[in-house]
Amino acid sequence: MALQEDNLWYKDAIIYQLHVRTFCDSNGDGIGDFVGLTQRLDYLQELGTNTLWLLPFYPSPLRDDGYDIADYTTVHPSYGTLDDFKAFLTAAHNRSLRVIIEMVMNHTSDQHPWFQEARSSRDNPKRDWYVWSDTDTKYQAVRIIFIDTELSNWTWDPVSKSYYWHRFFNHQPDLNFDNPEVFEAMWEIMKFWLDMGVDGFRLDAVPYLVEREGTSCENLPETHAVIKEVRKRLDQFYPGRMLLAEANQWPADVRAYFGDGDEFHTAFHFPLMPRMFMAVKLEDRKPIIEILDQTPAIPANCQWCIFLRNHDELTLEMVTDIERDYMYDEYATDKTMRINLGIRRRLAPMMENDRRRIELLNGLLMSMPGTPIVYYGDEIGMGDNIYLGDRNGVRTPMQWNGGTNAGFSFADPERLYSPLISNSVYGYQVVNVDSQRRFSHSLLSWMKALIKTRNSYRVFSRGTMEFLRPSNHRVLAYIRELGNEKILVVNNLASSAQAVELDVQRYKGYIPIEMFGRNLFPRFGDLPYLLTLGPYQFYWFRLRRI
Amino acid sequence: MADETFLSDDLLRQLMSVGEVDLLVGILSHRSANTMRRAAHYVEKSLQQNFVRQRVAIINVDGGAVEDSNSDERSDDGEEGNNSYSKGLNSLRTIHRVTAGFNGAPSPGLALRTILSSSDLLRAKACAVVSPATSSTSPEWVANLLRPAFRDSFDFVAPLYSRHKFQGLLARNLLYPMTRALFGRRIRELYSDEWAFSSRLGTFCLNEDMWHEEPVRSRPEAWMGISALTSDFRCCQVYLGEKPPPPDGAGPDLVEVLRQTVGSLFWLLETNQQAWMERKGSEAVPTFGPEHAVTAEPMELNRARMFELFQTGVKELEPILESILSAETLAGLQSIAGLVQNTFRFGSELWVAMLYEFAASYHHSVINRDHLVQALVPLYRGKIYSFIAEYADASAADMEAESENLCLEFEQQKPYLTEKWKAGVEVKS
Repeated sequence: MALQEDNLWYKDAIIYQLHVRTFCDSNGDGIGDFVGLTQRLDYLQELGTNTLWLLPFYPSPLRDDGYDIADYTTVHPSYGTLDDFKAFLTAAHNRSLRVIIEMVMNHTSDQHPWFQEARSSRDNPKRDWYVWSDTDTKYQAVRIIFIDTELSNWTWDPVSKSYYWHRFFNHQPDLNFDNPEVFEAMWEIMKFWLDMGVDGFRLDAVPYLVEREGTSCENLPETHAVIKEVRKRLDQFYPGRMLLAEANQWPADVRAYFGDGDEFHTAFHFPLMPRMFMAVKLEDRKPIIEILDQTPAIPANCQWCIFLRNHDELTLEMVTDIERDYMYDEYATDKTMRINLGIRRRLAPMMENDRRRIELLNGLLMSMPGTPIVYYGDEIGMGDNIYLGDRNGVRTPMQWNGGTNAGFSFADPERLYSPLISNSVYGYQVVNVDSQRRFSHSLLSWMKALIKTRNSYRVFSRGTMEFLRPSNHRVLAYIRELGNEKILVVNNLASSAQAVELDVQRYKGYIPIEMFGRNLFPRFGDLPYLLTLGPYQFYWFRLRRI
Repeated sequence: MADETFLSDDLLRQLMSVGEVDLLVGILSHRSANTMRRAAHYVEKSLQQNFVRQRVAIINVDGGAVEDSNSDERSDDGEEGNNSYSKGLNSLRTIHRVTAGFNGAPSPGLALRTILSSSDLLRAKACAVVSPATSSTSPEWVANLLRPAFRDSFDFVAPLYSRHKFQGLLARNLLYPMTRALFGRRIRELYSDEWAFSSRLGTFCLNEDMWHEEPVRSRPEAWMGISALTSDFRCCQVYLGEKPPPPDGAGPDLVEVLRQTVGSLFWLLETNQQAWMERKGSEAVPTFGPEHAVTAEPMELNRARMFELFQTGVKELEPILESILSAETLAGLQSIAGLVQNTFRFGSELWVAMLYEFAASYHHSVINRDHLVQALVPLYRGKIYSFIAEYADASAADMEAESENLCLEFEQQKPYLTEKWKAGVEVKS
């Protein structure tokens, strides 16, 4: 099946995020690879997702989970070859699955040949590809991001006897985008992958591309100029490909990265995510409504990307101190669960494996405006291992079945890149794809139905949203509307049954049709519409005037 | 259980939307939209800043300010687009606002019953009541009232205020020392506009079949406080701050004040007879903040009229006083009424004996009870005249010492009240 021609496809996407390493090992070395991933594409198609976002798979010393790239134009040998990637890409496209890959523009690994050349002598032609200084006193107004590990944004290079600039780890020197050669080199890399057929890039750490004295060196106009140039060339030479921004900032600040529809196509809505969790725990819609009320409008050709969990910690940077304390107290009572400013847990354990809450959160994810992202394994309710270091507890092997190594690999278990989840609640013997495929009531089956319903109505991906604000604050209700397509979503955020009266006078005469069972409900009239909802229950109603 | 039929359908619908809460704050808004708005603002600010995680609701009980209340609601909702994330302190949850309207003017008792019923239905763990009439209410007041009930498991939280030495004279000379002596707990402000209580006490009071009684309708806080004392609920006091007097003419006249307070106290003695008779001495209750604060700046008071009214009262009310007081006490009163102003003193011993006899006569209904309380008015004026004269130049410490002496006098003479109370209608001797 060929991919449909639609330059706004990313608006209708349901993105499945995975790391090649974690998904399926085809050669028994204990590490997932592209051949294994390709073998599992039928599953992803069956699930209903239509876009894959791959975490970095480039050659790398892997000191930052692959975001320290040593070679941008090939595949890390652990994951296969470039040909394996090409075969994967073709197979994905054949199943109408688009593929987004990572592009780290801001920095390279210090093992990248560019940096090795740059540090080799001050006269090297690559010298100016990075940001050097004889002192470590420039850009003093700039914050340090990794405060746990880095004391300065400058690190002394004993080889060339000067300091180099880095916003992240000291082994990730920042590229110098004031040098046009750097931009052209990056564009060549992007062309390399675009020519191969990738459908988009997630651009990592975009706010930090350019440095200017006396500024925070974040979100500078010069950085936007770089993005605009990438977008211009993309539209000119590769129409229909997309750029996704990683900018963990407040919506008003991220808004600038959409430009006038001439920068990023999509960007993560970071502050919404913790507030969905907070709203469910508080049993109050306030956090969600507040943040969405503060979210500015974006150009018509742009879209937010929304998510529940991902490969990193559940970031709590975009919350107030009080909110962060609350999240820690409610979702990370064990301090082992905390890392940096966040919580390193998966969705199901955070919801205490409560199916109703897991469903409610996925229901929110799929019905709110934006392109939803599902993190691998969350569709079957995989658990985590908080005793593994860093964020590795949420990066354990995919659980395909209850057999050897969860069907992930035929290597000896000791050889796996990570131990499997094997406890009695979330272990692969209990939670796995095969067992959930067998039952229509499993979480996986339910997720498929949810995604199928979402995919059936474009109003979810492109429609407007209007909150109804009933007096019962435990109920979050909104209308999604696109042309004649109207959908009423009603969510009970509480652990107890709720009654709610909805003011739907504007829709008088419409008949609500429950979208999963396709049952008719009483027609809207003059009076407030009374609904009762069980604990954590939600309804999606298609509104029809018949 | 709340008497659900007592609440209007509209209020029930609002409560249904609120659901369960941790804290409820009731505002008894005397039909003034402006004062109500101000109080609601402080209450909301307090809840936002001090109880950021708790489920909270504010209930405004009044018939007259409904429209203003609702119009205020949306703008401060926190859902309406104000950038709360830049403010730092902010409640994580929706602060619910409920308005309870009545047909006609609600009595304080009816208002409190509405709050208790709402609190019961909402399963609030702690509840505070504030009055917009108190001009010095602040966010800290609300938080200070709620904390002991919510966090420290106290059932009744009475306020403590900082007052000028010549303010709150009724409490200082009568209500406090008498309730302390009789009920055995040192709570200074049982008659107040602000207080807090636990769900336990709230439910207990709600289930009492007393709501039709006039003293409960007019001064429900005193009834609630005494109920807490007599039923061994955990009581405490919390210092709130300065409480300025209401503007001239803003409050009821003295007759009405005594009818509501002293009349209520006498009635409470009757309904809690067994409890107060068994108690001896008095105990301090846990107090948060300063014990009591008195300021002693010079103050101009026109006392001449007070003395005149006292003298006239003793003379003209003699037939009534004869039926209320013992001959000895009446003689004592008549004796001091014959003094000239600059030598006049109304001593503690006589004052306490007189009050106890009034209480006993109220119990025995020697005359119409309302008339009985009214007969006390000129005598109270005489006491206040004397008090001001005696302590015009006294320091705050001297005032406190004297207050303590008066309390001890009440405690010492308590057997006299018991005797009179049990003696039947033999007040005249």
